[in-house]
Amino acid sequence: MPEAAQERARPGAWVRDSPWLLAAVLLVAFAILNAAIQANFFTPFSLALNVTTVLPLMLIAVGQTYVVLGGSIDLSLGAIVSLVNVVAVEIITALGTGPGAIGAGLVAGLATGLACGMLNGLIVSLFRLPPIVTTFATGVIFGGLALIVLPQAGGSLPPAYYLVYAQGFLGLTLPIWLVVLLIGGVWLVGGTRFNRHLLAVGSNRQAAFQTGLPVRRIVFASHAAAGLLAAMAALCILGVAGAGDPLMGQAFTLGSVSAVVLGGTALAGGWGGPAGSILGACILVLINNIIFFANIDFVYQSVVQSAIILAALAAGVFASRRRR
Amino acid sequence: MAPMPQAVLEAAAVAKRYGGIAALEDGALSLGRGEVHVLLGSNGSGKSTLCKIIAGAVRPDAGRLRFGERRGFFSDPAAAQAAGIATVYQETGLAPTLSVADNVLLGQEPVGRLGRIRRDRMGARLARIYERVGGLAEGIDPRALVMDLGIDRRQIVEIMKALSHDPEVIIFDESTSSLDRRQVEAFFGLVGGLRDAGASIVFISHRMEEIFAIGDRVSVMRNGSTVAVRDVAATSREELIELMIGGAVGGQPDRPPGRDRGDVLLRVAGLDAGKARGAVLDLHRGEILGLGGLHGQGQSDLLLGIYGGLKRTAGEVAAGEAAVPPGRPDAALTSGIVYVSGDRGRAGALTGRPILENLVIGMLSKERPSLVDLAGMRGRVRPIIERMQLRFGALSDAIETLSGGNQQKVVIGRGLATGPRILLLDDPTKGVDVEAKRDLFGLLRELCDEGLGVILYSSETGELIENADRVLVFNSGRIVGEILHGKLSEYSLNAAALRTEGADA
Repeated sequence: MPEAAQERARPGAWVRDSPWLLAAVLLVAFAILNAAIQANFFTPFSLALNVTTVLPLMLIAVGQTYVVLGGSIDLSLGAIVSLVNVVAVEIITALGTGPGAIGAGLVAGLATGLACGMLNGLIVSLFRLPPIVTTFATGVIFGGLALIVLPQAGGSLPPAYYLVYAQGFLGLTLPIWLVVLLIGGVWLVGGTRFNRHLLAVGSNRQAAFQTGLPVRRIVFASHAAAGLLAAMAALCILGVAGAGDPLMGQAFTLGSVSAVVLGGTALAGGWGGPAGSILGACILVLINNIIFFANIDFVYQSVVQSAIILAALAAGVFASRRRR
Repeated sequence: MAPMPQAVLEAAAVAKRYGGIAALEDGALSLGRGEVHVLLGSNGSGKSTLCKIIAGAVRPDAGRLRFGERRGFFSDPAAAQAAGIATVYQETGLAPTLSVADNVLLGQEPVGRLGRIRRDRMGARLARIYERVGGLAEGIDPRALVMDLGIDRRQIVEIMKALSHDPEVIIFDESTSSLDRRQVEAFFGLVGGLRDAGASIVFISHRMEEIFAIGDRVSVMRNGSTVAVRDVAATSREELIELMIGGAVGGQPDRPPGRDRGDVLLRVAGLDAGKARGAVLDLHRGEILGLGGLHGQGQSDLLLGIYGGLKRTAGEVAAGEAAVPPGRPDAALTSGIVYVSGDRGRAGALTGRPILENLVIGMLSKERPSLVDLAGMRGRVRPIIERMQLRFGALSDAIETLSGGNQQKVVIGRGLATGPRILLLDDPTKGVDVEAKRDLFGLLRELCDEGLGVILYSSETGELIENADRVLVFNSGRIVGEILHGKLSEYSLNAAALRTEGADA
């Protein structure tokens, strides 16, 4: 008569309930592999360098996670990075070299990213257009705008910008502090009502609507947040590169989706979280390290990286099929 | 019957049309404070539509609603909920990847600083809801994910979610259909407690015994109108069924017994698929075997389970001597079984494609020729077109150019073109005009005389009475009765549909 209900005390349920677990295991494995072929991997200098490398991807992946959790996706994040990158460089270059110019550039960059995310959110939530096509199209527009603003890589930032970025505060570099801030922020958001409602919308949009949740506003907010985080990533990239590049962001769209998938978040929405994506971003950077230090030709990087992502995706999908 | 003066909610003259079809013509409900009010009616009588309108999920075309001092219909479910009307639907509105606790309190999480959820206060609220629901929630871990729960427990979580709003009016839409006996008893205890605490309850049920177990009053609906209100204590099963079918029970002449049965074409033993549980049946050569009961009691799932379109979780199916393997519609087709869905839009017509293609696609998937000889196919479907009396312009016209009835003829003709021995019809005449229905059943009878066996699920009792040789009646996934040709009537079918115990009529 009733369905057998054995939801309690199921062995191994905690493995299933911790979507980031696979990413954690992979991260340890790749870290060991990396250390084996790169002698100085576990030195403070090398670790700090790796953190600086991974930070932009981490920021973008966290934004992508919120979008995906709500049942949407943003394929324009890479293009937003490019656009913010060139807008900030152009504004700083135009205003001179003082702290005021840098401040104006940072604000303009953040505003640009936020505006792009809000535009995506508006189209996806208000007009209910499919997010894959919508954000792919807006991504082409943002990328095109970046080329209009700065047709070729160039422009130069005042040294103060990248010197401060590389400087240490209380014994740690600024990127490390930013990672700490990001993790703190993710933890804070994780306990909010917004996060819970976002998961509900991604899990069963109709049910969320019937419950009276502001479904459109929630989806809109997730896109806006992703745009803002992509802008932060672009400003961090400038701190290393020191110059503008309208094609800077291209690789980050696939990278962010990959980090989200590796981190155990379901692309269908409603399951997972940014903690996994942070681990996923680290894994992707380690993979690139390994390819570099193993003297594999750099052109193989995208092939190897994508094959690993495909394998991780398959593992996640098979695990969830067994679930029910 | 005079409306109760202290009615907390009153709906009157509510009407709703979908396209040309009236789902509700004159719906009415007068809900007294602190009563359990049962809504009773057969398929398509409008009881679900009326409830959805009251709950703000469907906008009516006409009518009046008063709830306490407030007048007018609700614009959306959230508005009705805020006003104090909670609805527990059958199809669950839960977020499967969230925990029981998160689902029950979704949208009402107590928040502290920085918008963070106060887990401690959430636990206290949850404990209160658990306490109120009592034995019904026994064994449901608030931390469990909803996707790990069986359908019975999901329904209970849904009930808890509805109660979390402290509603004044609660509408239960067949909430007991997925519960077992012990759970139903606990549910009745809960409903009694809610009533004693002053809540007013609307209860849609398809089990006669439940009406007498917990109902105070009952409104009977027929063909989109509320036709009678009775005190449960002052009515009887017979009277309620008479009101449902709109005629007297007595004096129904026995019909001639059905024709002689041929040998067994299809044997189903203990089949579980979807909602269908433990189905056992034999289909004989030349027979139209009807499936009856209220809508969604497992009839469609049984047909799909036989065909292989739905996963079988237990049981065997054999066509003649050969077993029909599970989950293989292609194998079913090869063994001469054809399934036709009544849902043309989703599962039948290949829209935008010519009539001819729609007709031959079944033959193609059965015969798998490497090259398609359309001219030859055209010749082969010609006799079927004639026998179905299909009315069309040219075979190259798109299928949408046909009327609904003729589209359905094409979909059925596609199956017949494969030369089946067994035809499974899943409510095939939904939205089909009278003339097309007559053509269709005339042809089916001819084909049965030639040796075809048909299982016909129909949501219209009249169709079963006219066409079936015997009818198996479903309730909650199980076959609860078999009615032979001589005993088929509106009364016997409706009475059996509300029964829960398996007993032959």
